[in-house]
Amino acid sequence: MRLSLRSRFDGRSGGRNLALLVGVLAVAPLVLAVLGLDYYTIVLTQALILGILALSGDLAWGSTGIFTLGQAVFFGIGAYAVGELAKHLGVTDVLAASVIGLGVGAFAGVLVGLFLFVGSRVGELYVGLVTLALAFAAERFATGWDVIGAYNGVPGIPGPTLGPLVLEYGPTTYYTIFALFVLVLYGAYQLNKSQFGLVMRAVRDDGERAEFLGYRRTTVQIVVFSITSALAGMAGGLYALSSGFVSPSFLGVTLSTQVLLWVVLGGRGTLVGPLLGLGLVYVLGGRIAEFQPQLWPVILGLILLGTILYLPGGLIGRRVVPLRKRVAVTTAAAPTGGGDRV
Amino acid sequence: MSEAVTSAASAAPVLVARDIRKVFGALVALDGAEVSVAKGEIVGLIGPNGSGKSTLLHVISGRTPATGGTVTLGGRDVTRAKPSDRIRAGLSIKFQLARVYLDQTVADNLLLAIQSQAPLVSLMLSRSRAAAASTIDELLEGFHLTHARSQLARELSHGEQQWLEIAMAMALKPTVLLLDEPTAGMSREERLATGERIRAARERCGVLIVEHDLDFIRGLCDRISVLHQGKIIASGTPAQIEADPRVQEVYLTRV
Ligand SMILES: Nc1ncnc2c1ncn2[C@@H]1O[C@H](COP(=O)(O)OP(=O)(O)OP(=O)(O)O)[C@@H](O)[C@H]1O
Ligand SMILES: [Mg+2]
Repeated sequence: MRLSLRSRFDGRSGGRNLALLVGVLAVAPLVLAVLGLDYYTIVLTQALILGILALSGDLAWGSTGIFTLGQAVFFGIGAYAVGELAKHLGVTDVLAASVIGLGVGAFAGVLVGLFLFVGSRVGELYVGLVTLALAFAAERFATGWDVIGAYNGVPGIPGPTLGPLVLEYGPTTYYTIFALFVLVLYGAYQLNKSQFGLVMRAVRDDGERAEFLGYRRTTVQIVVFSITSALAGMAGGLYALSSGFVSPSFLGVTLSTQVLLWVVLGGRGTLVGPLLGLGLVYVLGGRIAEFQPQLWPVILGLILLGTILYLPGGLIGRRVVPLRKRVAVTTAAAPTGGGDRV
Repeated sequence: MSEAVTSAASAAPVLVARDIRKVFGALVALDGAEVSVAKGEIVGLIGPNGSGKSTLLHVISGRTPATGGTVTLGGRDVTRAKPSDRIRAGLSIKFQLARVYLDQTVADNLLLAIQSQAPLVSLMLSRSRAAAASTIDELLEGFHLTHARSQLARELSHGEQQWLEIAMAMALKPTVLLLDEPTAGMSREERLATGERIRAARERCGVLIVEHDLDFIRGLCDRISVLHQGKIIASGTPAQIEADPRVQEVYLTRV
């Protein structure tokens, strides 16, 4: 049986929600400054970078149905690449970091994508298992490899610059990252809205049918997987610069699973939903992880389960008929046979 | 197989399926079945439930790999080709159970079919659905779906979903069109309209159509083949088929 969480990408209202979110984010540092909460501008900067990761997860799982549990692997690869280059060669420019992150992410994404999709017809669950194993292996590997600092990771990465400017923590860094974030968001929105976006949803909803229209499903999946891996790599590179360190957990299962949680919680394929999902988990998580670190993964799991069972469209997604009712309705409406679609 | 058939088309066949075998475990679904369709020809495929009609279409379209036999499209052997490559070689199929994209609009379903062979980069860059708009309008009008243009496909009636799927199959501009029970669940008027659309399509392609409704198929097809237990037991004009005692025997149990 296929995992059936669907939502419709509604270009117009989606655009309005995104514009609203961008507006709020644009004034957030000012509001925080007035409230005397300047520290949170730095937190919000990190959240924006993770937002790029959330968008990449949404394009893969939300829009195209690629059930990836390894999005952090590409994030981590971007982070390590930029971290090492910044530390040893002084590459601290955010634009350079973005390009490097995109490049290594795309490269790794093509390789993994080819491995995942060429020749295999095993479906969503297979992709999930392999990417999960990959995330697990990547983290273990990084923890053991001295060249990249083993379990210490890469500490002491110099701060971000932009051309000749050294970016101070606070509003300067925030707005630089914000600009990049908006650029990625706009690109993702246009991609969803494009005719290719329609193909992505067709591959998600019924990939075999898409082949019988003449689409090469494997090619579409590899292209999308590479794009989203590139974006994850870019996010990783920026995160390395703005947080000043990289650790093996950047590559790992916990972060990968969280990406999926943001997407499912917020609403698949809506872009704005996963960003809200990220916001919620990030804010909640910050508090809970502080006081109950061992309880946090359990809570994440419960949120994921609860969303799938009771809010299949996510917070923003179209109201979807719960699974059990839908099966009943389908059988009643199509007496000539339902075996094909279920 | 009777070869004394007055075929409408003298041209070389656009589809030939020869000696097709398909085995599901112990069940022999197809046992040396064959069928050929020429350009401009409408060929009917009839047979009792479970005789292997859908399976034959699935083998031709690549949905199910054949156990034996060959499929050629326009002279090219596609027996081992992927479905998408067969579609690109000119094949198009409407499945027995309508399989449209329920969560996309009717117009987007058609757009998906129309643009399916465009390069991916151009799909990413051009958001202009304008180029396809007039084709979509024509298809909508031809299948009486204009009112439903921006409705989700799941909001359509059963018959309308069938129509949408046939429209998508035709939007591919195929040279071979496979239709598995195109009129299932349709009213009489809807059947007539469907027949008209199929007749209109024949100008550009050969059609292979699976149907239970003999009344519908009689007036439509140039030739009819009868499948029984995985074998073609008769083939000829509708009149010949109806007079054939073997066919009557097979069909005595039904209709
Ligand atoms: N995937 C499958 N696995 C096992 N058996 C199958 C499969 N598909 C079809 N069959 C069997 O093969 C035989 C032929 O089925 P097929 O669907 O081709 O018949 P049909 O002529 O299209 O019948 P109908 O008129 O009911 O549509 C049936 O006995 C069916 O049960
Ligand atoms: Mg059938």
